[in-house]
Amino acid sequence: MRIELADAVVRFGERKALDGVDCAVRAGAMVALVGPNGAGKTTLLRALADLQPLQAGEARYDGKRARELPRGELARRVAYLAQGGEAHWPLRVDHLVALGRLPHRRPFAGLSAADRAAVEAALAAADVAHLRARTLAELSGGERARVLLARALAVEAEILLADEPVAALDPAHQLAAMAVLRAAARQGAGVVVVLHDLTLAVRFCDRVIALAGGRAIADGPPAALTDAVIADAYGVEALRGEHRGEPFLVPWRAVGAGREAAGEGAGD
Amino acid sequence: MTASPRRAEAGDRPLLAALAGLTLVAFLASLAVGYVRLDLVAALDDAIHGRDSLAALALVELRLPRAALGAAVGFSLGLAGAATQGLLRNPLADPGVVGVSGGAAFGAVVAFYSGLAAALPLALPLGGVAGAAVAAIALYALSGRGAGTMTLILAGVTINSFAGALTALALNLSPNPYAATEIMFWLMGSLADRSLPHLYLAGPLTLVGWALMLSAAPALDALSLGEDTAQSLGFDLRRLRARLIAGSALAVGAAVAVSGAIGFVGLVVPHLLRPLVGHRPGRLLLMSGFGGAIALLVADVAARLIPVHPELKLGVITALIGAPFLFGLIDRMRREG
Amino acid sequence: MFSDATRRARVATRPLIGRASRATFRHNGGRGGRTAARLCALALAALASVSSPALAKPHRIVSLNQCADELILRLADRDAIASVTWLSQDPREANMAAAAAGLPANDGLAEQALAYKPDLVLVGAFTDPATVALLRRVGAPVVELDVPETLDGVRRQIRAVAAAVGEPARGEALVAELDRRLAAVEALVDASRPPLRAIVLRPGGFTVGPGSLIDEIMRRAGMINLAARLDVGAYPQLPLETLVMLDADVAIVDDEGFAAPALAEQALAHPVLAALSRRITFAPLPSRLWTCPGPALADAARVLAEAGEATRRARAEK
Repeated sequence: MRIELADAVVRFGERKALDGVDCAVRAGAMVALVGPNGAGKTTLLRALADLQPLQAGEARYDGKRARELPRGELARRVAYLAQGGEAHWPLRVDHLVALGRLPHRRPFAGLSAADRAAVEAALAAADVAHLRARTLAELSGGERARVLLARALAVEAEILLADEPVAALDPAHQLAAMAVLRAAARQGAGVVVVLHDLTLAVRFCDRVIALAGGRAIADGPPAALTDAVIADAYGVEALRGEHRGEPFLVPWRAVGAGREAAGEGAGD
Repeated sequence: MTASPRRAEAGDRPLLAALAGLTLVAFLASLAVGYVRLDLVAALDDAIHGRDSLAALALVELRLPRAALGAAVGFSLGLAGAATQGLLRNPLADPGVVGVSGGAAFGAVVAFYSGLAAALPLALPLGGVAGAAVAAIALYALSGRGAGTMTLILAGVTINSFAGALTALALNLSPNPYAATEIMFWLMGSLADRSLPHLYLAGPLTLVGWALMLSAAPALDALSLGEDTAQSLGFDLRRLRARLIAGSALAVGAAVAVSGAIGFVGLVVPHLLRPLVGHRPGRLLLMSGFGGAIALLVADVAARLIPVHPELKLGVITALIGAPFLFGLIDRMRREG
Repeated sequence: MFSDATRRARVATRPLIGRASRATFRHNGGRGGRTAARLCALALAALASVSSPALAKPHRIVSLNQCADELILRLADRDAIASVTWLSQDPREANMAAAAAGLPANDGLAEQALAYKPDLVLVGAFTDPATVALLRRVGAPVVELDVPETLDGVRRQIRAVAAAVGEPARGEALVAELDRRLAAVEALVDASRPPLRAIVLRPGGFTVGPGSLIDEIMRRAGMINLAARLDVGAYPQLPLETLVMLDADVAIVDDEGFAAPALAEQALAHPVLAALSRRITFAPLPSRLWTCPGPALADAARVLAEAGEATRRARAEK
């Protein structure tokens, strides 16, 4: 599966959340999407997932438009993990993760053996198998985030689009979740993950896209995240380093004005 | 050891079987209870062999439609309650509370008292469906897309008040002197002296409504994760809303047209059954249908056994139980913040 | 018509539903009604007997009650009548509609009555008490008619009204006419045969309880009112189930038959009644014949007697 976004424009009222963005995502690579608040990261992710109508430009999936694909094919091959972790009813963990199998299930059929295996694998990967009989309401914020990640993994999609999946997690679980996502990418899935933590971005991902003000100001291997780009996007100076061959990137000091969209809220 | 997913799935079948069985029991109880002693076995025997006895007549023309409508109307109300709660993601939604039943009553009243239903019998349930659809669309316009509980209840109160007032107005405008006194039937509901033609008129429309609502089960499950996630799992939200609004309008509209508006069944039954299905909105649909049928059949049996003359309206019985229940529910929601 | 129901309620002789026959209610324990009627009749009779020739006949009579309309139309001179209720001008509802045509019509309201400066106002037992109180307070001469429960009560009421309008001789003539027609009906009915089992069906499933005027007329026509066997009490509404299992011979359908539909009328159109028609004779009886005291009661008895005869013949043929 290859998703191509060409010249995408999304407007919310007067404001342009995406201002002519080109982006291509394919299976097998892990991509980090970074940028300040309001830069358009969530909007871009939703556009890739065919959840966001575009005012200009188009999204193509393996060369075809979304509506040209057979019913349910996009749902089976692209998984989306929304920001914020909404789960309205107090479902059991295993039932909730099993919802990820809905695109694969036939009407009126129960869970097949393949479905059950996928759910088990997802529970194990997200380290929530021991919580399977609990309801969501009983879990901590971090546990809940992992359960929702397991739900997205259970889809076994070719491309996984995750919006800030590690924001609520403690360091141990952040690292574990990033490792899970990278393992998924190594196994052939394409992963696009919105991150605020620059170290996680450069350490785990093969490619980094930096957005600011609705435009992509960098798109390439982690080295593309230069000091100039970071200063332009975030208005900070970062410390760089390396430990045993893996890079780290720590925001250190504010410098000049960044490009955070002032008080415009939704659109990120 | 905690239960595996497989065991959790199969756990639903005993519950479904139990509910279906109880529905059958309640149906038989409704056949057995009435104002005269009826030898059911003899009456059934007469009816099957085509013998024209009074007992067979009472069984087939009076008790059978009453029991069948009790089951069908109850099923519709329970199912529509669960479906509306799933769509609006709010446990307080119920066709009565949100005004869909009130709208249906008004539509049916217009069709009946204008003489339209006399000319075209199908106009009666269709009038109910039209009224219910308008109310459902108005409700969704006022409070859909994740609006809070307060907005939902206010929208329901508004629609109910308006529909109730219009119903009373229509009844007063009728030239028939009995019309003005019949408002209690339309606002509180009753299954007394219903006939087989009522069953045939309402039946097909309610069946279509049930099919539309039940087909939305997987989509409602997905919707518990939010609209974006549900859409990413392959569900078209606009079609889902249309299906649920149409389904509940058909089932509730046709039911109210022949039984009047009966409230609280669609509120209490899903609430009681939800923990038994692990809070999954999709599974709750069919269970709530059976639960609603049981509840209404039991209420109808009670209406005939309680020695009050004239017969208590069904809506009175369901409200006496349901309103305190709703009160407790709101109080608990308020305390949980 | 706009708020037809309210207009009708003010002038009708019985409430539409509920205590369909207050006579039944009284029979089952209410006091006052019959005693009051007797006292009233006695008082009026006494008044009539002591009135000196100097007391003129009333010549601006207003009736606010449907049954009073019929009586004054039969008993008083037309130019002595100032106003009758609008109901009496509807031929479907009133026996004297032709006579009432052309007279000023009222809606049963006190201010309408007072506008005619009446010297006699006739009201019914169910006329709004506020209206009656208002009329009495301004000193209008009010005569209240109750609902007779027996034929004797009917005769007394005819005589009382005749006395009130100053035409006692016409009152006697009317009573004689009633008795003559009743005797003719009695000739039709062979009292030696067992009475037919009958039940009255009104819209909404209502029937007529025991001890009422209708009950007595049914007896004269050779029928027995099955509702007497049931404990119908003050609210005589029969579920259809009960009706079916009564195994009646005759069902008397008391329905005015309005053009506009109502649920109450649907009760009389239930398919089970059509199925019953193989075993029961349905005898339609316009309720105007037996709503008010007057010779029309005998016509009601005749309709019933003839229906009874038809039923017996049909059974004999089977």
